[in-house]
Amino acid sequence: MPYKLFDVDKEIPERKKHTYVKHCSDPEECMPHCNTTTIPGSMSERGCAFAGAKGVITGALKDVVHVVHSPVGCTFYAGGTKRYPTSPNMPDGSKFPIENFNLKYVCGTDLMESDVVFGGMKKLKQSIIEAAQEFPEANAIYAYATCTTGLIGDDMDAVAKELTTELGIDILAFNAPGFAGPSQSKGHHIANHTLFDRLVGTKEPPTTTPYDIGLIGEYNIDGDLWILESYFKEMGIRILSRFTGDACHDELCFMHRAKLNLVRCQRSATYIADLIKEKYDVPYINVDFFSTKYCAENLRTIGKYFGLEEEADKVIADRMAKVTPELEFYKKKLTGKKVYIFSGGPKSWHLAIPLENELGMEVTAVASQFEHEDGYVKMKNRTREGTLIVDDPNSMELEEMITKDKPDLILAGIKEKYMAHKLGVPSIMIHSYENGPYIGFEGFVNLAKDMYSNIYNPVWNMIDFEENPAPEETEIDVESGETPENEAKVSK
Amino acid sequence: MSGVNVMEKERTLIVNPLKTCQPLGAMYAVMGVHHALPMVHGSQGCSTFVRYNFARHFREPAEIAVSSLHEDAAVFGGRKNINAGIKNLALRFKPDLIGAITTCSSEIIGDDVFGFVDTTKKELKTMSEDVKGLDKIEVIPIPTPSFVGNHFTGYDVGVKSLVEALAEPGEPTEKVNIIPGIVNPGDIREIKHIMALMGIEGLILTDTSDPFDSPLRPSVTPTRPYFPKGGTTVDKIRDSANSQGTITLCKYAESSATSLEKKHDVPAIIESPPIGLQNTDQFLRNLKKLTDCDVPESILDERGVLVDLIADNAARYLFDKKVAIYGDPDITTGMARFVGELGMEPTMVCTGANSKTFTPDMEKISKETGTDIDVLFEQDMRSFEVYVNENPVDIMIGPSDGRLLAQDLGIPLIRVGFPVYDRIGYHRHPIVGYNGGMRLMELITNAVLEKYYEPTHWKLQQ
Repeated sequence: MPYKLFDVDKEIPERKKHTYVKHCSDPEECMPHCNTTTIPGSMSERGCAFAGAKGVITGALKDVVHVVHSPVGCTFYAGGTKRYPTSPNMPDGSKFPIENFNLKYVCGTDLMESDVVFGGMKKLKQSIIEAAQEFPEANAIYAYATCTTGLIGDDMDAVAKELTTELGIDILAFNAPGFAGPSQSKGHHIANHTLFDRLVGTKEPPTTTPYDIGLIGEYNIDGDLWILESYFKEMGIRILSRFTGDACHDELCFMHRAKLNLVRCQRSATYIADLIKEKYDVPYINVDFFSTKYCAENLRTIGKYFGLEEEADKVIADRMAKVTPELEFYKKKLTGKKVYIFSGGPKSWHLAIPLENELGMEVTAVASQFEHEDGYVKMKNRTREGTLIVDDPNSMELEEMITKDKPDLILAGIKEKYMAHKLGVPSIMIHSYENGPYIGFEGFVNLAKDMYSNIYNPVWNMIDFEENPAPEETEIDVESGETPENEAKVSK
Repeated sequence: MSGVNVMEKERTLIVNPLKTCQPLGAMYAVMGVHHALPMVHGSQGCSTFVRYNFARHFREPAEIAVSSLHEDAAVFGGRKNINAGIKNLALRFKPDLIGAITTCSSEIIGDDVFGFVDTTKKELKTMSEDVKGLDKIEVIPIPTPSFVGNHFTGYDVGVKSLVEALAEPGEPTEKVNIIPGIVNPGDIREIKHIMALMGIEGLILTDTSDPFDSPLRPSVTPTRPYFPKGGTTVDKIRDSANSQGTITLCKYAESSATSLEKKHDVPAIIESPPIGLQNTDQFLRNLKKLTDCDVPESILDERGVLVDLIADNAARYLFDKKVAIYGDPDITTGMARFVGELGMEPTMVCTGANSKTFTPDMEKISKETGTDIDVLFEQDMRSFEVYVNENPVDIMIGPSDGRLLAQDLGIPLIRVGFPVYDRIGYHRHPIVGYNGGMRLMELITNAVLEKYYEPTHWKLQQ
């Protein structure tokens, strides 16, 4: 049977269809059941649609004020989860006056009981007007529905439309209340459509070149986008629009002028690439820049598209020369280490083969909070026989996997990290990273280094008090012949 | 004559809130119950965001379940979700207690959480014929709509719901109930330390100190990560009706304490957190009043060490320094009084909560310290920012959310309160009690030395 029921799930047997054990001979349709609602009473890793819209898609923009139409909690949490650095550079060469504006401020309507009873439209309107006064530097205001405003039925689009005229800047309403859809994925979807409907095609770029691309679904987590940008720059390719890492509002308005769109996060942003292709005939390609091999392959594909093959090769050769010695070291250290990838979605299939082939690790389980079928197809194609593929895992399942299977490392979120530690297994935050960026050639070294430093953290050999410690020579690492002290020196 | 100048928010818009919604406080309260699980009746964001915040502050697992409300519940109600959620938790985890915590969504769709929980408990009783023990699980409805109050009042609702459902009269005990508020493990441990020195057994409602700072010992850990060691047992909460009295360490827990007083004649003392000399002195006097225990030499020695530390250093390094404090209304009050004791001037305080006691307390501190205090009441971090831009201060005290402002202005930030996520160890050290006073005094003074003294100056040699 390709599906597995965890011992801890015997009371909720419907979980069985969400946990698939890969068998190469299985028919294509064998994969985890996905994108369905979480079983009530689970300690799920999932977030809500609002988190998907603001936390993932729009929170990365550098020059936008966000007004969360909610009781205070959603506003507070929208502020607490910001993880995207921005530069002040604007497309026309000017500088946005407030550094890291998106990391610094989040606004809300702080709804009270009376607003719930009488409606929050007036408060929303007043709040948006005040947001414009408070931050005159901002180039747009995005307002977000939440559970409360979705349920009381505030017509946010009407307010946005009215105020766009009145204030003379774009005011957008994102109708992705927390309860919409099974996971944050619904919020990605809604945000894509809102941004496309309201913005794309409404402005023209200051200049264009034949080498303009749109980089879609790259949010600049811990500076990922800047790594990729440096490659493109050296190849002679210009990123015209970013969606949405380190982007400004106007860039979204002229996304239709790109010559080619690259879709980086294919779960959260394929929607807008499809919409742009359909309406403006801009082609797109799915890209994968995690690890040296994928990064090189994809840079070559892009180089070929623009007739810049030599330039691509130059970038690849330059970076490979820099990272190869270090990666060789890490591969030696990481070979045979058993690792789980518990990502939000795509990183589970982005990283599975690279960790195996380039670092010698064994990926024995992958999981995703909100992937859809297309993502699970890729996970299935890119994992080895016997790998566990879990949709929307919960804490008890992770615990069962860890205690039975004892992996050497888990790539997961902050909610899972400390639980894994308590069970004696190191864990790296793969959503927002530890010491990133993790993308591209240099990023892959950073990831390898973080995995190495966590697995080889000396503390894992000292977890228990030893009444009668073994004689010293047994502490020498059998594989490398090095003592833990030497290890620490090598790791710099 | 010094006094306070109350400045209320002049906009409708809230920018960088200094408060969050009620459910977080309720979840925190349930996390302090032994072998208990919070279940949020709302959208997945309602549990995930809170787990994220607890995890980054305490660097510990924070296992919170969710009933996963979706569109269908908006139309048909969330009865199915809460019912299935409680039953799944009961069957899979077999906890001693489940806190069923409502949110904005479940309250707006009109879910009767009390009725639903009653029905579910009856089902658990029937199910217990097959699965032993299900009928013993306490399921406590905790109504915390997010559009009412803030996380401080949510904490009060959480503790109150627990004691109202569980406390039952029996043999009087010599214990003293302590309602700590949303504090750190270090604070609760310091309170227990003081009480142990006085020979008083504390009954902490609820005790998050071990759950939020638990040892990593996989080979012997008797419970699973979602059931950390420690916490107040259900039986102890039942016994809270028989204690000699209740002392709160925060004024926002008033209704929990007075509920025990009204229903079970347990005298309630509603106090500010024992931060600094005078507030800790008051805490000792309150304990003495309830129990008639003497203050032992050992505590007076600890007090003496703090006095020594202040006498040796405060006037020399800290006198006259202007301090702006923001965050939790009660921690802010305690900090303002303490910096006054150090000879500093608490020139501005800012809270996001609408605490009734905040301004009167600041009036007292203003008179006591001879400082005019600008009181930013029910304000937000943006107001704080605008204020300190126009009215420079020497030191900022509050949670990590002030870090970027502190960096922009070059003002040292002393991290206190919740959340602190950009430094480690802050949850382990107390700010309450005489030991907490020493820790704070050291943090503040070292920050002043770092910022306001030339590293090469001869003054730093002696």
